[in-house]
Amino acid sequence: MKILSGKIMNYKTLKIDNLDLFFNEIKKSGKNLLVPKKKGKTTYFSSFININDVEFNYIQTTISPKSALFPKVEELISFKKDDGTYVVTEPSIEKETIVFGLRPCDAVGLEYLSNFFLNEKSDFTVRLRKENTTLITLACKNFDENCFCTSVGLSPASIKGSDICLTDIGNGLFYAEIITDKGEKLIAEHSALFSNAEKINKESYVAQVPLKFDSDNLIKNIKNYYNSEKWTINSLPCLGCGACAFVCPTCTCFNIEDEANPVCGTRLRCWDSCAFGIFTLHASGHNPRPIQSNRWRHRVLHKFGYSVTNMDTLSCVGCGRCIRVCPAGMNIIEQILDLQEA
Amino acid sequence: MQELNNKIAELLTNNLVSIFISYKKGLNGKIKPAFFTKPNEVYENYFGDEAQQNLAVYVHKPEVKKYSKVGILANIFALKALLQLYAENQIKDNYLTIVTVNQDNKVIVFADFNEIESYIAQHQIEKNTNKQKEINELLSLSREKRWEFWVEQLSSCIKCYACRAICPMCYCSKCTVELNQPQWISVPAHSLGNFEWHIMRMMHLACRCINCQECSRVCPMNIPLHLLTTKINSDMEEEFGQIAGMKTTLDFALNTFKVDDYENFIR
Ligand code: SF4
Ligand code: SF4
Ligand code: SF4
Ligand code: SF4
Repeated sequence: MKILSGKIMNYKTLKIDNLDLFFNEIKKSGKNLLVPKKKGKTTYFSSFININDVEFNYIQTTISPKSALFPKVEELISFKKDDGTYVVTEPSIEKETIVFGLRPCDAVGLEYLSNFFLNEKSDFTVRLRKENTTLITLACKNFDENCFCTSVGLSPASIKGSDICLTDIGNGLFYAEIITDKGEKLIAEHSALFSNAEKINKESYVAQVPLKFDSDNLIKNIKNYYNSEKWTINSLPCLGCGACAFVCPTCTCFNIEDEANPVCGTRLRCWDSCAFGIFTLHASGHNPRPIQSNRWRHRVLHKFGYSVTNMDTLSCVGCGRCIRVCPAGMNIIEQILDLQEA
Repeated sequence: MQELNNKIAELLTNNLVSIFISYKKGLNGKIKPAFFTKPNEVYENYFGDEAQQNLAVYVHKPEVKKYSKVGILANIFALKALLQLYAENQIKDNYLTIVTVNQDNKVIVFADFNEIESYIAQHQIEKNTNKQKEINELLSLSREKRWEFWVEQLSSCIKCYACRAICPMCYCSKCTVELNQPQWISVPAHSLGNFEWHIMRMMHLACRCINCQECSRVCPMNIPLHLLTTKINSDMEEEFGQIAGMKTTLDFALNTFKVDDYENFIR
């Protein structure tokens, strides 16, 4: 896979000490600013209140920022009986959102996610959210044994999918690459905080993530892996929960739930996971993926096979979240290496 | 641990088990469940403090059930879970070979569940005073403050069901929370749905939960589910004198009808 890159429009610097001002200015302007926060062992994105509860010390957040575009539960439509007639309301998403502190792999993940929802059929709420969301990525200085962005054609220096990408270049400075019009617009609104800068070589400031596997080889051979007997033995620990899918920035599956009575009701879109046993259960009782190894195989082959066929891209960005969160130690890297070994 | 490895290899070699569930180190160094089917794989076996997961959960897994005879390394929580499952008629006779390592590092292979019952009776788990303190602090708050606490905690639940999946006592093939045509309880992961889900789960686990606290360990949102399980367990003990995972026979409070029950409404 080729290294994905975007076109950079402009370069700036921002004093790290001024982040507090920057955040407060955004908050004052009435926008919703999502920042990483910590709760025990969990890091997740939540609305900015105060610089003191923004978390900066993380390799990768436990929960991906995907809910900025695709929340765990969202209303698609609601109705209410009013004076004998039904009034139907469609959701409106007007508030501008800024996401701060996602990683370069996440920006690519969210790009994949919005392409999934917008390419063939333009999904109404995802389109509105996408239009209203600006992504400020923080390039990685550190990585752990579960990071594998470089194995899927990305790197801690990738800017694809970001509107602005910040890199800590020492001396209390962030180097800012402004990539899109949305990024430009946001910087222009806070121009006093940013100084002009020359293009620099970022490589020495970002983490050097070692290659874990060869994705070209994987894509080439993926069809041969479908019948491998390794899926069964490797997936024995898998418990069929939704943790891996729900923390993944590129998992897009959902379920529709209607909660209604004759007077009022809503139709809700909720996250779903292909690891759940009932995900593929038919009304007849037949289940085309009756056992967990079938479900695990589907997840891995979707990321590295089906999405290459359908959307011409991998749908795994190597963030490692599914590995870190799995209650049973399942590891997608281990699975790939094992398949490639044969 | 050599003695344990030898025992596992011996069980596999002599076809006393066709698969043995234990732990090993994953590629990233994390300890994870291992499923040994051949004696020459057993060198990978890990034994130590990092082995946390309650392996009893795997006895429900259809792929594991396909093996005719299953061996399992059980820590004290897994033993309690297996005993409770046995009492609930979830374990066939002569299907499991249960192995533990006691405090003197001696490998024990249990002959039957009666032996497990007496082993558990002799190896009481000390009450975790930190957790009790957390609960007492919560109980000292007003009703409104406690409500606020749980609203905040539970509204963050994403309904990934990792807590249910890891729980050895959650083995229903169809969970109430998944029934949505019509809904039994609210399915979406909004506040109401999350409250109904956790209340329902705790009701179903009252006097069945063996308090291994695996649900709390695995929650991606760090929701303190152990506060619920510990409290429900101590209530069950105080009100009904019952502790789950202690006996081969079944007698749990919320499911057993007694003709001489002192509550009138039930008669
Ligand atoms: S791989 Fe892990 S997180 Fe994913 S379904 Fe299986 S047990 Fe759950
Ligand atoms: S499959 Fe795992 S590593 Fe890949 S994008 Fe999803 S969470 Fe990240
Ligand atoms: S593991 Fe945590 S987030 Fe997942 S369903 Fe249970 S309580 Fe909710
Ligand atoms: S503590 Fe949690 S995981 Fe363990 S038995 Fe009780 S409910 Fe299940």
